[in-house]
Amino acid sequence: MEQNLQNLFKQAMHQPGSRLSGDIFSLIEYKKAKIIKVKKFGYLGLSILSLSGSVFSIWGLIEQSTQLGFFKYLSLAFSDGGIIATYWKEYTLSLVDSLPVASLGMSLFLLFILFISIRGISYQFKNKILIA
Amino acid sequence: MRSDEEIIKEYLAGDDESLKTLIDKYTSSIYNFSARFVGVDNAKDITQDVFLKVWRNIKKFDSDKASFKTWIFRIARNTITDFLRKKKSVNFSSLDTEEGTFEENIPDEIILQDEIFSKLEDVEMLNKILDKIPINYREILVLYYQEDMTFKEIGGMLGKPLNTVKSYHHRALILLKGEIAPKL
Repeated sequence: MEQNLQNLFKQAMHQPGSRLSGDIFSLIEYKKAKIIKVKKFGYLGLSILSLSGSVFSIWGLIEQSTQLGFFKYLSLAFSDGGIIATYWKEYTLSLVDSLPVASLGMSLFLLFILFISIRGISYQFKNKILIA
Repeated sequence: MRSDEEIIKEYLAGDDESLKTLIDKYTSSIYNFSARFVGVDNAKDITQDVFLKVWRNIKKFDSDKASFKTWIFRIARNTITDFLRKKKSVNFSSLDTEEGTFEENIPDEIILQDEIFSKLEDVEMLNKILDKIPINYREILVLYYQEDMTFKEIGGMLGKPLNTVKSYHHRALILLKGEIAPKL
């Protein structure tokens, strides 16, 4: 009897149109493409901002390093290695002291953001290719 | 034949066609399940919503906790509940606390042997009768007789103990019998 009831229930199933599963897949592909597009533009904007920020930041870093004499200390390492070997502690302290830490940190941070956004763009492009 | 879990793994590894396989496999079931509670007119939208939720959350699917079938039907049930709540209709859980007023001690086999069920041959009649049965009980009948889910799977999907599901099934059969009798 249970089998009969089961058979009748099976016959009574509501059937969707033949295109429904195809429509659902297309809808998901459309939503996916839209998300990829938004992410791509987001990463593109972020990479432009971080690239321009990095240029200014690195420019400032070079200027400050020059003002603080970092490059002069650095050039010593190539011109007179003997003095540095003798006074390496003082030399290291002077080198660190002449380093514009804040500018360096900012530049590295912006370069990191640039790297992340470029990686994001390439990932989104790869996804787009997969969809196509 | 690949299991649902294998298909999901392949999809997550980058094979988009695997998602299509899953959609093809479950569209009819989810559509039928939805149509039973929200009507044929809304079933298409609900089915689409269910698969969108599946796609968005597929990374969270844990085969150790539940089978994909149980998981997708749970999503379908929640989607239907949200829809009915928006429409301010009765939802699945509103009848959860209903006390039994039925012939609890009669085994299912005895109820099923009743001649009344043998006279139920008309699909349209069954559909009309199912529409009259409260959704909690209708849900059990649909999942058990149409979707071939075991009581254990139904329990996992509803978050209810096995005995509660069996009790609901028992009451559903009595209700079904009660609805058929006047029509014969």
